[in-house]
Amino acid sequence: MKKLKEIYREVVSLQRQKGRGVSAQEISNALNINRANASRYLNRLSDKGWIKKIQGRPVLFCSEDLQEFPKKDEDIFSFIVGSDFSLKVPVQQAKAAVLYPPSGLHTLILGETGTGKSMFAELMYKFAVTSDVLEKSAPFIRFNCSDYADNPQLLVAQIFGVKKGAFTGADKSRQGLLKKADGGVLFIDEIHRLPPQGQEMLFLYFDKGYFRPLGDTEGEEKVEVRIFAATTENPYSSLLKTFMRRIPMVITLPPLGERGLEERYNLIELFIKEESQRIGKDIFIDKNAFISFLLYDCPNNIGQLKNDIQLACAKAFLKYKSQNKDFILITGKDIPQHVKAGLMMISEYRETLEQLLQQVGEVLKFQETYPSVLPATPPEEKYFYDIIEQKLVELKKENKSEEEINQILQMDIEMNFQEYLGTVERYGKEEIGKIVSHSVVDMVEKILRIARQRLGREYDNKVFCGLSLHLQRSIERIRNGERIFHPRLNQIRVDNSQEFLVALEVAKLIDEEFAVEIPLDEIGYLTMFLASKPFETKKEQQNKVGILVILHGDSTASSMVRVANALVGVDHAAALDMPLHMKPQAMYSTAREKVQELEQGKGVLMLVDMGSLLVFGDMMAEDINCEVKTIDLVSTPMVIEATRKAVLGENLEEIYKACKNIANLAGKDKETGVQLVEQISKKNIIVTACFTGQGASLELKKILEENLISDYELEIIALEILDREDFLAELQKLQKKHRIIAVVGTVDIPTADLPKVSALDVMEGKGIAALKKQLENEEMYNNMVKSLREHLTEIDSERAVANSRNFIQLMEEKLNLVISGDVKVGITLHICFLLDRLRKGKMIAPFAGIEEFRQNYLTEMEEIAAGLKDIEAEYQVKIGEDERAHLCRLFLQE
Amino acid sequence: MAKKVMLVCSAGMSTSLLVKKMQTAAIERGLEIDVFSASQAEAKEYFDEISILLLGPQVRYLEGELKKVLDSMGIPMLIIDSRDYGTINGEKVLDEVLAELKKGEPPGFHEEKEDKP
Repeated sequence: MKKLKEIYREVVSLQRQKGRGVSAQEISNALNINRANASRYLNRLSDKGWIKKIQGRPVLFCSEDLQEFPKKDEDIFSFIVGSDFSLKVPVQQAKAAVLYPPSGLHTLILGETGTGKSMFAELMYKFAVTSDVLEKSAPFIRFNCSDYADNPQLLVAQIFGVKKGAFTGADKSRQGLLKKADGGVLFIDEIHRLPPQGQEMLFLYFDKGYFRPLGDTEGEEKVEVRIFAATTENPYSSLLKTFMRRIPMVITLPPLGERGLEERYNLIELFIKEESQRIGKDIFIDKNAFISFLLYDCPNNIGQLKNDIQLACAKAFLKYKSQNKDFILITGKDIPQHVKAGLMMISEYRETLEQLLQQVGEVLKFQETYPSVLPATPPEEKYFYDIIEQKLVELKKENKSEEEINQILQMDIEMNFQEYLGTVERYGKEEIGKIVSHSVVDMVEKILRIARQRLGREYDNKVFCGLSLHLQRSIERIRNGERIFHPRLNQIRVDNSQEFLVALEVAKLIDEEFAVEIPLDEIGYLTMFLASKPFETKKEQQNKVGILVILHGDSTASSMVRVANALVGVDHAAALDMPLHMKPQAMYSTAREKVQELEQGKGVLMLVDMGSLLVFGDMMAEDINCEVKTIDLVSTPMVIEATRKAVLGENLEEIYKACKNIANLAGKDKETGVQLVEQISKKNIIVTACFTGQGASLELKKILEENLISDYELEIIALEILDREDFLAELQKLQKKHRIIAVVGTVDIPTADLPKVSALDVMEGKGIAALKKQLENEEMYNNMVKSLREHLTEIDSERAVANSRNFIQLMEEKLNLVISGDVKVGITLHICFLLDRLRKGKMIAPFAGIEEFRQNYLTEMEEIAAGLKDIEAEYQVKIGEDERAHLCRLFLQE
Repeated sequence: MAKKVMLVCSAGMSTSLLVKKMQTAAIERGLEIDVFSASQAEAKEYFDEISILLLGPQVRYLEGELKKVLDSMGIPMLIIDSRDYGTINGEKVLDEVLAELKKGEPPGFHEEKEDKP
């Protein structure tokens, strides 16, 4: 099948060059296959009706699409939608570039994905032919640099050819496309992928009219080729300046959004008509569906619009065939969800719509009888409708139910519209393609499409990106014979049985495509990507640490627990009162029962006051199989904190520490010194994370190191997040020793209080910029700490700066503010000095107009008072109303 | 006459250290510059005396309010760069001040210390 397509393409291109049919011998020469084979393929193509056989001597073959080669004096550009409006300037430029004496201008075409750059280049070529600037037989050769993006040397060799021995693997001399295009046009798509070396070789050709194949130091190949190039990128940042200077003509194609509704109307009309022509039947579309197509957000421009329309037509066609309808009607049910969303924009465009659709009834009809002059539709698409029909017949023969048939065919249809379906947005694919090979990206698209179908779940860019990185790496590892191990494979299988089945299915695809054998453990990883919340499969029943408060007194414990539960808003903490007359033995057995009742597998924290209760925990640890930790001298804040953390799902150790901290704060005065020394030497780190800790996270680590490590003091650590708990524990460990600037991950990182950056952002550069900013910011605060250290006599500058920053962050949340970095610096300093002064017992400037201010900002003032509680406790100071008002104003004025 | 530089923040607290550092720097460089700080509320009282007013970044919202008055009096105003502010970089802020004050002077004008007999 693949071979057939190749042959067909060659027929089309040769026919275009020669302006007549093609013989078997010519195909045999062009593709370097023997004549008998060429003839066999050609006959098969002709049997299938893809090409026509013209009897004679020799027998010629030609594609029907090209019989309508435009006549000489027809202005081919006038056929495209918008040639008089949005494309007027580009068309004028294009004509000028083609006609410019003596041999035209090399042209760069700019425009977003799907704006029609390739089509435009092809039209320019046709225009050159019809204007007699180029021979009818002049070649038009297209080349997409991204096909060779992972091998720059091969890419350059493709264009310029190579002399034997130029590099490893170049075992014979080969002609390049530039040579093959002699006398015609070479269209280089995605030229931003052409490495600088290639760009230099190309502009040497611009300047001198000759080039040298790779590895050839003397020969001068003279050719006359017009170069049309295209890119989606900003050429001034993605191409060499010296190259850009030599491009005499730059044409920019506008994105769909800038082309106005009227043109979009015409485009939709054109595309539906094309489909109608292919099916050979009229196509009807319901007005609302039509409006959806007019208005929906279409980031991949015309290419996507066309694709979405074809998809809708195919679905409508299926309905027409399988349900024996009288006509093909596209309704809301046949259009993808993201297209349907267009209807919601109706109110914004009401007037224009009314004008446009004035003459239109509830259903629109499209038919087309003339073949279009625009570039030919590839045959595999052309015969797509036949395939649907064929399958339908087959399935009916197998006695499948209508519903089943529909499901199967719907799948097939969607599989056929790979490129733009679903949620993969334009940049994601572009960007990731720079790191991951295209075949992997395509595979991931396929995988997610299947998963979306099977599991009825949407996958966002993050999953797309993460899975791409992961898969790339996994395939490498499998090929290198490295072992892949998934420690929780069985658990994953049980928890996500549906996803696992899908993963098995896609693994087969991967096997075939990449000629590897995916081990079961790897399928476990794939399953995790497909699961919606890989870490929280059991969120509902996520186990929590039990909290048990046991105190002396008739009701002390129960009242303390009541307060805590009420404040946290749950009923999690439990209480046991121990009246003074109660015997410890009796209490112990009650407590033991209670602990067993509370135990959910994550241990129990016992909060007690004194005496025999202190040793209960140790006794139980030996007595029952349960981890118990004990906190003594309990206070209400401790119970509240413990309950809060337990409900959040934190582990026993964490909660225990938090309570200990509170205990320390209450008793301590100025003994922070020891702890501080180790804090000051904290190092900045960035954590990268992926499921294995060896795949995407290592790639990310590499990228970050390349971008950041030379400029900042920084360490990057790659972690695995197979298990949520382990991961968080690991983070905590790191956090003690280092300052975590951010966590960069391929999947959602299950931690609330650290800045997160997605892998996608990193690849797009946004993430790097954000991280840089954050690092600079950290450096600045470090310097602030150093500058302050000698001047703040009463408090520790590091601690104070940290406290202030936490407080500001808290206020941002509570007051729903976004405070700019500059202002934060000011406020931080303000708070540090405020604390120092208060500790010294100095007076603070009164706040003028406090009465009125208090009235106006009642709630804000209260939030601030609440937010300052911790700081007041830690520094043993009282922050008065005037000071709070100063702070409040600083926050609010921003 | 010594030039007076006033730093303004909300309560005149957080600028105090910066004032000290700037003043030290000025003395070390042998400049006759007097640096002091004021709270937002007090600031207006000194407008008659000062050559330039500096705002802490956290009170930059005052700029709009003060600009009119200051412009009419021909007093320049600067918002202190938050990095310099955060790191309490007196030298750097002083440089900024000198550069700004120079702008207001006619070209070729050098305020050289007159040799007093």
